[in-house]
Amino acid sequence: MCAGERTGHNVLILGIETATQQVSVAIGGHEGVLGLFEVARGRRHAETLIPAIEFVCRQADITLDELGLVAVDVGPGLFTGMRVGLAAAKALGQALRVPMIGISSLDLLAFPHRRSDRVVVPVIDARKGEVFYAMYRQVPGGLQQVAAPRVGPVEELVADLLARSQDVLCTGVGAHRYREQIIDGFHCEIADTAFPSAGPLVQLAHARALREEWVSPADICPVYLRAPDARINWATRARAGTGGGAHRA
Amino acid sequence: MNVDVDGDTLILGIETSCDETAAALVMGGSDIVSTVVSSQVELHASFGGVVPEIASRAHLELLNPVIARAMVEAGVRDDRIDAVACTIGPGLVGALLVGVSAAKALALAWDVPFVGVNHLEAHLYAAMLEDPSVELPVVVLLASGGHTLLVEMREPGRYRLLGQTIDDAAGEAFDKVARFLGLGYPGGPAVEQVAHEGDPAAIAFPRAMRNEGLDVSFSGLKTAVLNHVRDHPDVDTADVAASFQAAVVDVLVVKARRAAAEVDAKGLALGGGVAANSALREAVLDACMADGLRAYLPSRSMCTDNAAMIAAAGWHRLRLDGPSPLDTGAYPNLRLTSTEPT
Ligand SMILES: [Zn+2]
Repeated sequence: MCAGERTGHNVLILGIETATQQVSVAIGGHEGVLGLFEVARGRRHAETLIPAIEFVCRQADITLDELGLVAVDVGPGLFTGMRVGLAAAKALGQALRVPMIGISSLDLLAFPHRRSDRVVVPVIDARKGEVFYAMYRQVPGGLQQVAAPRVGPVEELVADLLARSQDVLCTGVGAHRYREQIIDGFHCEIADTAFPSAGPLVQLAHARALREEWVSPADICPVYLRAPDARINWATRARAGTGGGAHRA
Repeated sequence: MNVDVDGDTLILGIETSCDETAAALVMGGSDIVSTVVSSQVELHASFGGVVPEIASRAHLELLNPVIARAMVEAGVRDDRIDAVACTIGPGLVGALLVGVSAAKALALAWDVPFVGVNHLEAHLYAAMLEDPSVELPVVVLLASGGHTLLVEMREPGRYRLLGQTIDDAAGEAFDKVARFLGLGYPGGPAVEQVAHEGDPAAIAFPRAMRNEGLDVSFSGLKTAVLNHVRDHPDVDTADVAASFQAAVVDVLVVKARRAAAEVDAKGLALGGGVAANSALREAVLDACMADGLRAYLPSRSMCTDNAAMIAAAGWHRLRLDGPSPLDTGAYPNLRLTSTEPT
């Protein structure tokens, strides 16, 4: 991957985040976040994302060819939405010939609480009664992951919190959805932050870019944490007008 | 964004609606500069059909390298590309979204128009891609795993839906019968191979609606095959496959000939994956010979899903309608609508 002068200290970073119901786009660099667009309801991700990128660039008076790096939320999150951001980000990285940095949605949720004394537990709704979560605690210079990302029923999260017997700060749309169960099972604080955001994405990516921890667009991989549902829905398929088809096509 | 669309206009086409990840470069709407198709068929074979989540994951992984290969094979630089066209429907929504998101991002990065393409319309162009001398109007029989349509094309971009399946698509019938006979997946090639050894006249399977109209129905045929095998456990599988295939081909060809006669077409073209079936191709050739029609039989790789047909359709759409907006999404139930009154 060529990482020319655009990836120095003054690198401009485009951040794309679509792992939950929010679409979030930011541009930033060593001056911090220069532009941010966020919408948590309304039209679907694919309709919103590209116009949002155009908008942020225009408002921040930045053209795409000034970018030195594309950062993207690699999940975990809702698969279809996540892939919209990943597909667009990888295509931009490829077309602009710039390196990329992928960051976990759970890291992004934890980041705003990096100065908390509590164990920070970002929780993302995984549907089907399950949540994605990980645990972090404050260390000099940032946050350290103390429990790796996983997916499981809410009861398992509560059991994990109990086992830790430390003060806990839960954050994220999953924590909000299962607020009652989490608080009943284990007394903890629930933060207001609901969605991972492209703001922290750009900030975290900038720190990593200074350490040259980037990869090529082809090496950006989603974090699913869950095997694909392998059911074939013939009815949906026929209606959708696709299919394995005899000679598929 | 204003674009002159002419013989030099180079379009990158992208296709991710089902289980083929494809990219192609086509110049002037008919000159294929490069075409790359990465099939996921092996990923889905053990499930006996396309698993949507597996398809979506594979598209995300394969799309960048497939596009890169199409560019390298064409030997063109990014700045030579005039527009990016992509299938926006019909298809599996998660699979479509990968292509649409990537295509719009490429168009934005290169500052060129994005063109959303109806996958079904693209299939109509497949025959013309390989035979630009095509004399219009033609009737196109589009038969695939998801669709069975008869369409009159008067000129590029101007077409009329004449008939369609009222239940199963032709390819779907092949898949289901193959599954029932234990022949594996995908069903079309599997049935065709076994049918070679069988007698197409061994069993007189029903040909629903054969003698009237231009719509078709395969649901009754599928049920008849199932019942016949249940009632005759010792029946020769090759005979069943051959007789089933003969019934499908017979109905499709009868309807296509009737459609061609009704609209006074100069030729008959095939499209869609089922058009790769040898028995159907032979029957269409014979019928065209008998009726004085020209036959347009795209190569097998142009019948199945590919991105060259998407780029070709994109060229026509860009010329006729201009670019699509960047807030275009994916439309899993998109239909082929007539451009003029039926
Ligand atoms: Zn198709």
